[in-house]
Parts: sequence; C-alpha cells; structure tokens
Amino acid sequence: MSQARVVETDVLVIGGGIAGCFAAIKAKEQGLDVTIVDKAYAGKSGSSIAAGGWWMVFNPEWGHDHDASMEDVTVNGEYLNNRDWDEIILKEAWATYRDLVSWGVEFPVASDKIEGYWDTYFTGPRAARAPNLPWGIVPLRHRKTSPVLRTQAEKVGIKIVDRIMITDLLKQDGKMVGAVGFSYDTGDLHVFKAKATITSGGNNCFRSPGFHTACLTGDAEAMAYRAGAEITGKEFPDTHFNLANYPAWKSNAELYAAYMYFTDAEGESINGTVGFDLFMEFAVHAGRGPVIWDLDAAAPGDVEAMREYVRKRANPVEAERIGLDYTRGGKYPCIGGSAAGVSSQQTSGVWVVDTKCATSLPGLYAAGDSCGARVCGASHRGPGFGVTGAAVTGKRAGLGAAEYALQAEKPVTDEKELARLKELIYAPAQRRSGFSPRWVTQVLQNTMIPYFILYIKHGERLQAALTIVEFMRDHLVPKLMAKDPHELRLTHETANMVLNAEMILRASLFRTESRGLHYREDYPRRDDPTWLAWTKVKKKQGRMNILKEPVPREWWPDLFKPYQQRYPERFPRE
Amino acid sequence: MSIERIDPELCTGCGICVNSCPMDVIRMDEKGEKAIIKYPEECMCCDYCELDCPVDAIYVSPEKYAPLMVSWC
Ligand SMILES: Cc1cc2nc3c(=O)[nH]c(=O)nc-3n(C[C@H](O)[C@H](O)[C@H](O)COP(=O)(O)OP(=O)(O)OC[C@H]3O[C@@H](n4cnc5c(N)ncnc54)[C@H](O)[C@@H]3O)c2cc1C
Ligand code: SF4
Ligand code: SF4
Repeated sequence: MSQARVVETDVLVIGGGIAGCFAAIKAKEQGLDVTIVDKAYAGKSGSSIAAGGWWMVFNPEWGHDHDASMEDVTVNGEYLNNRDWDEIILKEAWATYRDLVSWGVEFPVASDKIEGYWDTYFTGPRAARAPNLPWGIVPLRHRKTSPVLRTQAEKVGIKIVDRIMITDLLKQDGKMVGAVGFSYDTGDLHVFKAKATITSGGNNCFRSPGFHTACLTGDAEAMAYRAGAEITGKEFPDTHFNLANYPAWKSNAELYAAYMYFTDAEGESINGTVGFDLFMEFAVHAGRGPVIWDLDAAAPGDVEAMREYVRKRANPVEAERIGLDYTRGGKYPCIGGSAAGVSSQQTSGVWVVDTKCATSLPGLYAAGDSCGARVCGASHRGPGFGVTGAAVTGKRAGLGAAEYALQAEKPVTDEKELARLKELIYAPAQRRSGFSPRWVTQVLQNTMIPYFILYIKHGERLQAALTIVEFMRDHLVPKLMAKDPHELRLTHETANMVLNAEMILRASLFRTESRGLHYREDYPRRDDPTWLAWTKVKKKQGRMNILKEPVPREWWPDLFKPYQQRYPERFPRE
Repeated sequence: MSIERIDPELCTGCGICVNSCPMDVIRMDEKGEKAIIKYPEECMCCDYCELDCPVDAIYVSPEKYAPLMVSWC
C-alpha cells in the first residue's frame, strides 16, 4: 500500500460525467494535455449514466421563445436564478446537442421526429397537464449518452484514469495545483499535478435508494470546501420520489413524464409536478399520505404513450422484473427521498465567480452538478437543465481552465502538504478501534432523510439534526476505520456526506424564509428583499461560516407587484 | 440483497461488469478468471452490471433490504 504514482498534466478534470467529458474535450481543443480521473469508470458513473431522460435545447427555428424561456426560469426559480447563466445556457444548448449528434450518440427516435417529440409524447387528457415548455426537449436513451462522450474523449487523446478516489485538492501558494487520491484496487497513493483543475464530481446523495447515484457522496463540494472554496445552494433539496414497494427502482427518472395522476391516501386527486416541487411532502405532512400514483386514471391514449416511452427509452429489465404493467393500471403508493441529499442541480455547488466557471480559488474551475452557477434558482426547472447545464458549464469550465493553464507555471507541490494529505488518506486504515463507515452512513441517513428534516423544515428540528451531525463530525468521523482499500473509499465518502449534511443544515437554518424547494414551517413566506440572496458556506478558522450574497438589484422582481403575483405558488400556512 | 448471482459457468472473465459497477461491488477472483460479488453491501440495485454483461451471467434482484440499526458498529 501507499506507493505514490505521479501524473503531471496541464488540466486535471476530477469526475468524468457529462460535465467532465465536455470540459476535457474543450480544454484539449486548446492544445493542452488533459487528464480525467474518476472514482468509478468515467462515462459509466454518476448522474450522467443514470439520466434516462431529456436534453434541453433552444432553437428559434423550432419556434422557441427567448423571452418566455427567461421568464419561465425566473418565475420558477423565484428570482434566485442567475440570468447571465440562463442566457448562456439558452444560447449554447443547441451546440451541445449538435456535439452529441456528431459524436454518434443514439437517440430513441429518428432525427426528423426529434423536433416535435415533446408535444407528441403527451396525448389525451395528459396533454392538458403536461408542462408547456418554451424551449425544446431532445429525448435520450437509457445509458447511451455518457459512454459515447468517454469514447470521444479517448479519441481526441485525453488521458483517463479510472477507479481512483480523489480525496483532496492540492494547494501551493494559494493556487490550486492538482489533487490527491488512492486506488481502491491496490491502495496506492495517486498524485495529480496540474496547472489548472476542474471539479466535476457531481452532487451529494446520502446513498439514498432510488436514483442510482449512491456513488455520489458530495466529494467535489467537500474537497473544495476544505480547500477554502465557497459552496452555495445547499438548502434547496431535490424531491424525486419512487414507489414504496420498490424503493430502489429508478422509476422516477424513467417514467416521470407518466407521473401525471396522483391522489392522496383517501383517493382525492392531487396536482403535482414531476419531482421538482414539494407536493408529496406537503400531503404526507398533512397526514394524507401515502400519496398514490393512480394508473387506473390513465386514459387509453396515455397508456399507449407510456408503453411507447418504456419500450424506446427506459431500462427494459426493471419494470418487467417488478411486475409493473401500465396496460393493467393499478395504484402504487409512493415514497419520497429517492435522491435524498441531492441539492438542486445547477443551483447548488461550488460558487463560481464568473461565466468561465472560475471559483474563488485561483486555478480551480467547477462544472456540472458540482458547479454552483444558480442556473435554476430556488427550484429545479426540469426537464433537461441537468444534462444540458452539465454540458454547457463543462465546456465553459474547459475553456476557462485552459486559458488559465496556458499562462500558469509548471506546478510545484509542497512535500510537507503532500505528506499531510497522505496521512489523512490512510489514517482510517491505521486505526485499530473506532467505527465502521457503513454504520456511520446509516446513522447519517436516519438523521437526515426523514421528510421532516430534509423537506418540511423547522428551525427546532434543523437544530436538533445539526446537533447530531456535529457529534458525528467530532466523534465518529475522526474514528472511522477501514479494513481494506474498498473500505478506505467508504470512510472518505462517509466523511464527505457528513460534511455535506452540515452544509445542508446550516444553509437551511440560515435562510429564515420559504422559497422554491426550501420550505420552513416556522417561516412559511418568501421574504423580499431580505432573502433575494444566495447562501454560501465557507471554512473560516476551521469552522463552517455562512454568508449571504445579494442577488443583483436588476434581477429582483417588481416589489410593487402584489406578493401573490410575484409568487404564483402558495406554501402551506403562509 | 440486490445483486444476487454471477453464474461462474457462464462468466467468461471479460471484466466488463467490474467497470460498470460504480459502487465497487464486483471484483475478479484471485486468479483473475471469473467475476465475483465481493462487496454486496454497497449494491444500489442499478442493474448496470447485468445490462452490460455480454453473456447474461448476472442477476440483480429488485429487493433491497436495510441492515439492522444497532447502537454502534
Ligand atoms: C436518475 C436520474 C435521471 C436524470 N434525468 C435527467 C433528465 O432527464 N434530464 C436532465 O437534464 N437531467 C437529468 N438528471 C440530472 C443529470 O443527469 C445531471 O445533472 C448531470 O448528469 C450531471 O452531470 P455531471 O457530469 O455534473 O455529474 P455526474 O454525471 O454525477 O458525474 C460525476 C462523476 O464524478 C465522479 N466522481 C465523484 N466523486 C469523485 C471523486 N471523489 N474522485 C473522482 N471522481 C469522482 C463520479 O464517479 C462521476 O463519474 C438525472 C439524474 C439522475 C440521477
Ligand atoms: S461482464 Fe459477465 S462475463 Fe464479463 S466478467 Fe462480468 S459476469 Fe463475467
Ligand atoms: S446492480 Fe449496480 S451497484 Fe449492484 S452490483 Fe450491479 S452495477 Fe454494482
């Protein structure tokens, strides 16, 4: 164990999902030496391989309306969206789709059918309930996008190093100069020295069951935080849900467009969107749960559309195996927390200071789900913003990092700092007493995932959870033990999840209002203009500090407009 | 559990499933000849290994159990 392997590169990309691959390809185009490192297998891990759904595009020739799109994201994001970024995503989305086409990505429908796909998918009574989007949606095939991006990256000469768990960023004289990690196959130390580093390690999930992203443990945000970066948007949870009988089935992603009919436990119809709001949590908190996915309400046209969808798009094994047959209807109780721990994609992440994805740390760039670009503001505006946002921020980060690397000097690493990080990496393997990472993760799940902590919040309950998480931070994390390199990965992931939990709780406590996906029972209204602001957590003298960054005034809503018009959605008891 | 079986009769030892599993559940056996379920506790029921195995040697059950909660471990 612990023989050091050293890789030197111009641009290091940590995490090879959609964001990381786009970033690497863009940086490579600038004539640089680029390396992707991934803790699993780049192109086959993270959210990117799990995403079954939709790529967002914007093309006026397809009838898409710029102003309506900006208005839609702004109202939905409750004025916390970064409009500069939204303009960029709209402008650059089309080119990312053309990249997919030129690299050979397979789509589930013929190219001449893609333009109107979204409209034709919704038929019959569902059409009236379908989200009316001012932009376009390109359907994707399950597991057919990110592997092609990897192949493309390899083709253009990007070096890929798989199965290396990166634990920390390397810093020298205030500049970021690479990262360290280890192989969980051999246990060997790996040191990556780079002129510029891109963090694209995806989001944080508390190993929750239904999103197939248990591999994402907030490592990107945790290591950036430890290096001194600012982390934003942690108070806005993702609210995807799943079927109670099969909590590990990724139905939410495969079928979410089919989620159009819900009732409460008594059979009363409830209007809900598709995992981007809190309707299910509100119903359950009011004692009306479990919420039922009511397939009996589907009309024949809907059933046909769902069958078509599943045949072309979804993972064919899963639905069959759990015995779900849309043609026969049925009532399926739902559960929340499929993606518990995930904060709203493209809103939460490492704070970026410009539209080149630079962070507050020189030499560090952020892309994809771990990029805090605030694209969607207080509420995730699916579908399509996740993958397309990852591609666009990826390209921008790739360019930004390349520009930086071109004028940066050869990185030198401080041997003392390296020795310190090495000791931190292997400490859990040296311990003979302490706690197992699996058990600590389970305690964390039990503390954080219940609906009344993560989704229906109250200051007292957040404080109670924070007290436990602080105990875990101070007494359990420092005593995590690993028997082998596989468990060593688990110890670092567990520590990172605990750190992410603390960020979520502190940001949630700090925001003393409700907005978008952040609901505080004790503050059930939006509070303008006090909270026309973003939260940022940042390490200060070893402790977690929380800051407020005001939204620029020109992006505020018209405060003379009545509250009900500024905010069409009502919170319970506001 | 979740990943239930890798059929040693069918497995050709190609190693694809090892890379398909984001959770490091699957490893090759000591001789490097067959894939084995090494760390089943981490399985997240994603089916990726099963979908990618060229000879259908893997079966992933949709059942997922949670380990018992104990006071320390
Ligand atoms: C089930 C599901 C369905 C979805 N459906 C849609 C959809 O229909 N439309 C849409 O727009 N969005 C969708 N999304 C969201 C979208 O998939 C993500 O926003 C997007 O893929 C993020 O890409 P990324 O490259 O930033 O991160 P990821 O794809 O998560 O990539 C992160 C990579 O970093 C690696 N990594 C993590 N930690 C480390 C570490 N410590 N060291 C080294 N490597 C590390 C991981 O292994 C992974 O490969 C969905 C997400 C899920 C989970
Ligand atoms: S993918 Fe299938 S054949 Fe290949 S090693 Fe795994 S189980 Fe064996
Ligand atoms: S189902 Fe997924 S997590 Fe489980 S062994 Fe297969 S690839 Fe790994």
